[in-house]
Parts: sequence; structure tokens; C-alpha cells
Amino acid sequence: MGFFLHDQRFIPAHGQAAVLLDLAADQAIDSNVLLRHTGLFREQIVQGEAQLSSHDFLQLIHNSRRSLADPELSFRYGQRLFPGHYGAASTLLANAGNLAQALQVFCDFGVLIQPLAGARLSLSEQHLCLQWLDCAGSGPHWRFIVEAAMTGVASVTRWLSGERLPWQFLFRHDCPDYPEQYQVHLSGPLHFASQIDAMLLPLEYLERPWPNHSATARQAALQQCQQEIASLPGTLSLRHGLYLHLLEHIHQPPSLQESAEWLECSPATLKRRLKGFSSHYQQLLDEARLHQAVHWLAFHGQGPDQVCARLNFTDSTNFRRSFKRWSGQTPAMCHRQLLRFAQR
Amino acid sequence: MKQRLSLHRGSLIALLVMANLVVLANLASGDLKTVSELVWLDIAGEGGAALLALLWIGLILNSRPTGRVTRLLVTGLSTLFLAYWQDLMDEFIQLPSAVMWDHWLESGAMPLGMLLLTLGIYHWHREQQAISAQLQKRERVFREHRSLDGLTPLSGPRYLREQLAMELLKQDQPLSLVMLDLHCFDHSRRLLGPHDSDRLLREVAEVLLLNLRQQDLLCRYAGDRFAVVLPRTGRQEAESLTRELEQAVRHFAFKTQRGITHPVAIMAGLAVAHDEDADSLIERANRNLHSPSRVA
Repeated sequence: MGFFLHDQRFIPAHGQAAVLLDLAADQAIDSNVLLRHTGLFREQIVQGEAQLSSHDFLQLIHNSRRSLADPELSFRYGQRLFPGHYGAASTLLANAGNLAQALQVFCDFGVLIQPLAGARLSLSEQHLCLQWLDCAGSGPHWRFIVEAAMTGVASVTRWLSGERLPWQFLFRHDCPDYPEQYQVHLSGPLHFASQIDAMLLPLEYLERPWPNHSATARQAALQQCQQEIASLPGTLSLRHGLYLHLLEHIHQPPSLQESAEWLECSPATLKRRLKGFSSHYQQLLDEARLHQAVHWLAFHGQGPDQVCARLNFTDSTNFRRSFKRWSGQTPAMCHRQLLRFAQR
Repeated sequence: MKQRLSLHRGSLIALLVMANLVVLANLASGDLKTVSELVWLDIAGEGGAALLALLWIGLILNSRPTGRVTRLLVTGLSTLFLAYWQDLMDEFIQLPSAVMWDHWLESGAMPLGMLLLTLGIYHWHREQQAISAQLQKRERVFREHRSLDGLTPLSGPRYLREQLAMELLKQDQPLSLVMLDLHCFDHSRRLLGPHDSDRLLREVAEVLLLNLRQQDLLCRYAGDRFAVVLPRTGRQEAESLTRELEQAVRHFAFKTQRGITHPVAIMAGLAVAHDEDADSLIERANRNLHSPSRVA
């Protein structure tokens, strides 16, 4: 089915992981301390043969955060991430002719350029919304990953476009006790305690042409990326793949049994595999329904009642109760909050 | 950590040899006591004191470079350790009453060690005064090592908030806060690479420090943003200080690793405190950073 598991090793360790190792080395942290419990050694990585699973990558992030307990770490990491030195995917990004082409790299070849965070681009009448989704079940490290991903995309799009793009940033988490890092490194309106992790931008920036790119190099890189992705055990993590499948059928979501049939495995196997990503079926379903509801409420001008119907809830009380369980807010509260930044 | 200890390998070996010599000398001239003769309370007390002296030696060697002050401290503590060590040997080995050197080692070494340690601590104090004088504009009134910044030799945003809160309590004095942002640092970082751009931040910090008064405090806020606390300073004075800082940085010719000059410029946002808390003062200064008029 083309989905990879949490312990399948295929992420080149000399890619994004090496950026983190270099960053730590600059601050005099021994790489072998960072690689503890990943089963890798610096020597293997330098030879360019070592591969990580998403689980190993999370372990590396865990080790880095312990050795360098500095809230700036994720932002500094993000600044160095893109376009990066990840082969064809980096070339593809560096030669993007406009924002749409740059974001396509994150959406279509995410596993090559940012394997732990999946990007989902959706367009409304005024805005583009780049939402970040947890591919690896990263739990306490999700905030780190999302900080790095947003810093990285904001920084690389500014570099490639030659202008400061007026991104707005939405975070699921509350404002942490280091707001200054967000203010300085992201430098756009920040909305904490929102229901999704996403970046918003007025739609007119999407097709505006960027300077300094080569259309030929881009075409060649596109071919290479497609070949590279075909040789991987999967283009998406199982967690992310199932999430997208649920999202696609959100009006009538498949049960665990039906999902397992779609994935050609038994429900018990599916459960076990999801557990590897610290996830379970119901959690993914709730996430998918909440995210879809937020999109409809915020960007498609729909009210709580319409969303209730589209999510196939029989009555609004039931919907309100479920929504509150997913998000801690009632749909109406969430609607008001979301309208605020969609109108900016 | 290993590197620090290896600087002091000689001292550690000397201490080990001395401790062994004491054991050998005791064994050569005395007889072992039987188990019933041992006094466990004394053994625990004297052994514990010897161990603690050893631990202090370890901590000091580990945290300090070699030099006169370190030598004094370690010699003093080593002498103390040997005195306790001999004291501990007494508990296990009965020396004949004709032997006098053990009394000298016990009672003579103790005051000598104390004296050396006192001398060491005195010079440590002098050394600290010298270091504090150098640190003055980066640290005010009290020290908090946990709020030090990882990249530049400055304190971070937490220290800034604490210091602002303290200064804001003095309501009869004006207080100004200036936020400084490097112009187009995102661009510079990509041009210069990580090493040079980190060094650029450190060197700009030095330039800013050189242009501040004794009472001012410079912190790194986050990324390429610095904060300057100007106590007892009203708007007019703060504006002229800010201009001086901007000019100083504009005249700073940063050199990359390849020796190429990279021009630097800063933007400033000034806020003068009136009856508010640290966070709102910081927020106003940050806002003024982006508006060209710089009005607070």
C-alpha cells in the first residue's frame, strides 16, 4: 500500500538529521551523545550510508533537546533546514518559480524534504493554508518539529522570493514561556491555542513569480524526486496515510475493520502498527474530523450547523459534545476565533 | 569535562602518590587493629571528611583553568585531605608511641592546609572582582547562571524580564528600553553560513557593549534581536544613545572567515516606561522596532 512503519529505516542520516548534528557540534556537543539509542555512529553517517527510521529520528531530537536545553534550538534548526542538501528535493525547492511550486515540494515530496511533518495545502477564496501534520506520532516533540518546520518554510520562502511574505502562524499549543523566540524568528502574527498547526498567507502570493530559478533544473529534479520516492518503502507514514484516507471519506469514515481491509492487514495488525506511532484509530479519526471542521469553519464560510451536517452528525447537541471533546471548545467559540484571523 | 581534568593530571597523580605513601608508612611502622578495637563512628566521621575534601578538589579542578589561584586552593585542600587521611589511618593501625610523625601530619598539616585554602579563597575573591568588572554591562546586581545565552556572552530574555521588573519598581526614576534588530539578518545568515553568522552576532554584541555606559545592561532577546536596558534615562538621552549605537554598528566592518568585509546595520525600537510591567514595555519596544517613526 506504500506506507512506511515507525521502525523502517530509510531516511538518509546525512540529510535533515545531519543538520541537527552539525548544529549541536557547533555548540560543542559530542555527536555520539546525540546518537545514543539510535544505533548509529558518526562514522557511518559521514560515509553517507546510514539510514534512520522515523522512530530513530525522534530519538535524535529527544537527545538533542536534552543536551541543548535551549528554546532557540528548534528555530535555529529550522533556519538551516531548507533548501538543504537533500539531493533532488533540495534542487527542486531551490528552483521553485513561485510559492505554489515551492509548497508542492513539501506536499508531494514531504518524505524527502521533511519526513516527520506532513504538509497539506488548502486554498480558500482569500487565503492559502499550509497545515502541518504529525507523521511520526511525535508526542512531546511535535512542538519542536512544528517550530522548526514553520521557521524553515518562512525563512526559505523569504530567501527564494526575495521579499518578506506576510505569513500568519497558527499553533495548537498555548503560548509557551519563550514567546520571544516566536516573535523574532517567525515575525508575523501569532495565534496560539488554535485548533490546527498552520501557516496562512493571502492567496495573491501563490503565483507571484520568483527570481533566480531554472525551469530546466526544476524539471530534471522533479523527475529524480519521482524516481527516488518510488524506491522508498512508502511515500507516507502509515499514521499519515490513514489520516488522509479518513479525511477523504470524512462524511462516512471507514471503521477500523474497513480501514484494515483497505490496508490489506488484520485489525489487530493495524492497531499494533499504529501503536508504533503512539497512535490509535479513534485518535486519528477525531483529529481528521476536527481538522476538517476547522477548515470549513475558518476558510469556507460555513457555520457550525452546516459543518455538523457535512460531518454526518445526526443532531447538533451530539456534534457540540464531540467537538468539545476534540478541541476543548464549542464549535461556535471556535468559529468566532477562527474568523478573526481569516479576515486579517 | 575530561579535558579540564587532564589539565591537572600532575596534581592528581601527586595526591595519589602522597596518599599511598601515608598508607605504606603507617603499615611499616605500626600494627593493624583487631575488629573489636575499631570505633565505627570515628571511621565514618574522619573518612567522610577526607572524602569530602577529595570531592572539593575534584570540583575545583574541574571548573577552573590552571593558575595561581587554582594551585593554592588545590594545595590547601590536598593538605587538609592528607591530615584527615592520616587521622583515618589511626583508626585502623596502632602506631607505637615513640612515632611522632603521625602527630605532625595530623595536627601540623591541618592548620597549614587551612592557611593555604584561606589564601586561595582570598585570591579567588580578587580574581572574581576583576572578572565582575569586565562583566559589568552584561550583568547587574545579581547573578543567575541559568539565564545565560548559549550563543553570545550575554544574558537571555528571562534575565531581561527580571531586571526590567526590578528597575520598574523604582518609580521615581525614568527607564528606557531599546530593542535592536540586525538589518536583513536572515539574508546575511544565508550568505555567511552558520559559523560566520553566529560569530557576527557575538561581535556585534561586543561592539554594542563598548558603546554603553556603566549602568546599562545588554541582553540577547532572541535570534538577532538585542535588548538594552537604560536605567535613569529619559527619552532624549535614550534617543541619542540609540543613535550612537546605530552609528557604532554601521562603522563596524565585520570580517568573514575569508577576510571579506560584510557590512552590518541595526534598526532600533525605543520605549520609555510609564507605569507598566516588563512585558508591556518589551512589547512596545518591539512594536516600535517595526514602525519607522520610533515613537513610543
